[in-house]
Amino acid sequence: MSQPINPLRKYIREGKLPHFFCPGCGCGQILNAFLQACDELSVDPSRMVIIGGVGCTARIPVYLKGDVLHGVHGRTLAWATGIKLHKPQTKVVIFAGDGDVASIGGNHLIHAARRNLDVLVVVANNFNYAMTGGQVAPMTPSQVRTMTTPFGNPEPSFDICELVVTAGATYVAREATGRPVQLERTLKKALTHEGFALVEVLSQCPTNYGRYALRSGDPAVTLKWIMDRCITKAQADKLSKEEKAGKFVLGEFVDFKRPIFCGSSVYDLESCECCE
Amino acid sequence: MKPINIRICGFGGQGIVLSAIILGTAAVTKRGLYAVQTQSYGSEARGGQCQAELIVSDSPINSPATQNKDILVAMFQSALDAYLPSLKPNGILIVDPAMVTDLHNTTARVYSVPATETAVKLGNRICANMVMLGYFQEATGLITRDDVVETMKELVPERFHELNERAIDAGVELAKGTQIDIF
Amino acid sequence: MATSTTERAQRVLTGTHFMLGNYAVVEGALAAGCDFFAGYPITPANEISERMSQRLPAVGGKFLQGEDELCSIYALSGASLAGAKAMTATASAGYNYMQEGIGYAVAVEAPIVIVDVQRCRGENFASQADVMQMKWGPSGDHELIVLAPSSVQELFDFTIRAFNLAEEFRNPVIIMSETTIALMRERLVIPPAEEIEIVNRRYTSLPPDKYLPFKANEEYGVPDFAPLGEGYGAIYSLNPHSEEGSIDWNPDVFEQLYKRITGKVTQHRDKICKTQAFKMDDADVALIAYGSEVRPCMDAMEMARADGIKVGVLKLDTVWPVPEEQIIQVANHVKLAITVEMNIGKYTREVERLCCAKCRTAVATKNRGLVHFPEEVYAVIKEVWR
Repeated sequence: MSQPINPLRKYIREGKLPHFFCPGCGCGQILNAFLQACDELSVDPSRMVIIGGVGCTARIPVYLKGDVLHGVHGRTLAWATGIKLHKPQTKVVIFAGDGDVASIGGNHLIHAARRNLDVLVVVANNFNYAMTGGQVAPMTPSQVRTMTTPFGNPEPSFDICELVVTAGATYVAREATGRPVQLERTLKKALTHEGFALVEVLSQCPTNYGRYALRSGDPAVTLKWIMDRCITKAQADKLSKEEKAGKFVLGEFVDFKRPIFCGSSVYDLESCECCE
Repeated sequence: MKPINIRICGFGGQGIVLSAIILGTAAVTKRGLYAVQTQSYGSEARGGQCQAELIVSDSPINSPATQNKDILVAMFQSALDAYLPSLKPNGILIVDPAMVTDLHNTTARVYSVPATETAVKLGNRICANMVMLGYFQEATGLITRDDVVETMKELVPERFHELNERAIDAGVELAKGTQIDIF
Repeated sequence: MATSTTERAQRVLTGTHFMLGNYAVVEGALAAGCDFFAGYPITPANEISERMSQRLPAVGGKFLQGEDELCSIYALSGASLAGAKAMTATASAGYNYMQEGIGYAVAVEAPIVIVDVQRCRGENFASQADVMQMKWGPSGDHELIVLAPSSVQELFDFTIRAFNLAEEFRNPVIIMSETTIALMRERLVIPPAEEIEIVNRRYTSLPPDKYLPFKANEEYGVPDFAPLGEGYGAIYSLNPHSEEGSIDWNPDVFEQLYKRITGKVTQHRDKICKTQAFKMDDADVALIAYGSEVRPCMDAMEMARADGIKVGVLKLDTVWPVPEEQIIQVANHVKLAITVEMNIGKYTREVERLCCAKCRTAVATKNRGLVHFPEEVYAVIKEVWR
């Protein structure tokens, strides 16, 4: 009996398989949810420009049939800015890890959100630098042990959703690989959003985060650790700040429209209020 | 024609650099000459004293930096103090007597042009540089009065055209009877 | 790209001007068809961004002030891969930041043009101290094309050439400007639009399933482009990549890739490397210079000849790749070659290796924020030439 083939494989570069993700890694689930969302929306990822920087998550684009920019740490949004200004009709999706987009690429992230650049950023938050072997990252929770915080992380962690909401993003949501249905629904919404959309996906890294922080390489342990700390936005709204500490709030944070960034134009002056 | 090395100096806000640009633009676009204009751009260029260098020639100009100037136009005392040593011993020194009083016993040929006083009489001291330009072109014959006026109108906002043109003509008037041999 | 005649006329300001060097760069870029500019404020390059922000949108291009130099340089690659003729302008310190983005553009063969107005550390005085960094800034094996204009006219002319070379060779091209010429106003003659030669990149004629993004037709050739976001599935990665764009490590593929990426530049020196020789036919002494330093050399040459010393000048219009053949040719028939440069003596090492065993060499250096005076160059000639 032949094995059933995942119908989403038509969007994958067959020659690139098998993929390089560790067993139990969340990146495969994110890729799956993304392609499911594309398929249901009938948008063809092979007509997109899909960007990855450096890191495990940044490898997701390499398995997709679209045009891909890859291989430089943190500059995904800078590339995207050039592409969108010159060829605005191009659909641009970025896959980035928490180290890539919140640390080395943090400045580009803030300004792309401020400009309301018309791109979708999918951030796989696995709470550490995984490809380099499990070092502390801006989104590693406080007190957690990593390869470079052997005595526990002395720093507070970043809330990337709050950051880009403040910076001006127009669609922001957080989901987890443990909720595939909700994740796919969120990605569908983000894919059709016009303007800067960011979806943070809490994702398990059993190999590095699991082994060092949680003392177990079993994917289920990391997945459970994440899901135990997840609450929905509706639940969170009823809790005090203290009660919310250490929890991951899932759901949509903003969803609205404002003018998307398309670079300066000679005609802008006429509609500019401050120049009247 | 040998390249003529000119330095105009004063303090920031007197339109020193603009004067050099107008002269250079007129020489190149109206007279078909060659010109090179440079200016200091270090921290000293903001606010305090200010200078612009201009070389004019009828053939392409090589070195943009020259040690000795043929002509120094000084519109402020401290600027003169700083740049007088760069003037050739027998060079031409044009000063505004209201702004420059101590000439350090220079051996240069000195021409005194009451540019600021004239500008004040015209209603705005800001056009002292235009008085000086009018004087300079008339006395040296490097370019013509119409070259200066036309170029000024190309480079300066329209609201200053009328005042500047009167200032240039006042400078021309001051130069009547004076001939500075620069060639 | 400029298409309509009206747009072309707006892009090309035909006529005689007395123009600032930084402005001439902008006019050259527009004449060459530049339609994307990204930059970050830095003196003494600001006049380029300022004029671009005014001129570019009016001819249908896009202007971006990035949040930093990294944004600018990567936005350039993004726009370029999307089909734009893209340029940025910066000055020494900003060029530091851009190195990783230049390395990326080399690896994915994105045509981009970078103007670097060299300055003295934090101060805006003249310098050529970055002549080695121009080429050797990025990590990894690479070749960069670096042009060295000496005048406002050449800032215009070489900017057009920079775009043409970038498009032809799919490689970053750097215009090595300097405070001296960038902030200088000088005569500039802009020719009629139809007299300006423009080179555009070659697009593939193959369908997506036959297209290999990094396959060239010759050993040292340049691959054809495919439009971005239209199903060609090209992977533009800094990582080592095969002709198909696959980024799996293979030492043979890696070696072959960089042999071609560097070879497409070094094997086409005849097209890229330009020099100008002045009074070299009977010269005993050659002054070898680039950028603004050529100018005092021309005067020093006349001073020396008036005193009976036969001096010639070799002006390097291209500094990288090194115009080896032209320098060797000079070394073969002069007795002394003096490199004249505004730094502590850098490019002279390239000249020395080429002159080795052919003629004597010397260097005239100056590192105090001002181009050489002709008298200073002549003093070195007299001191070294006996």
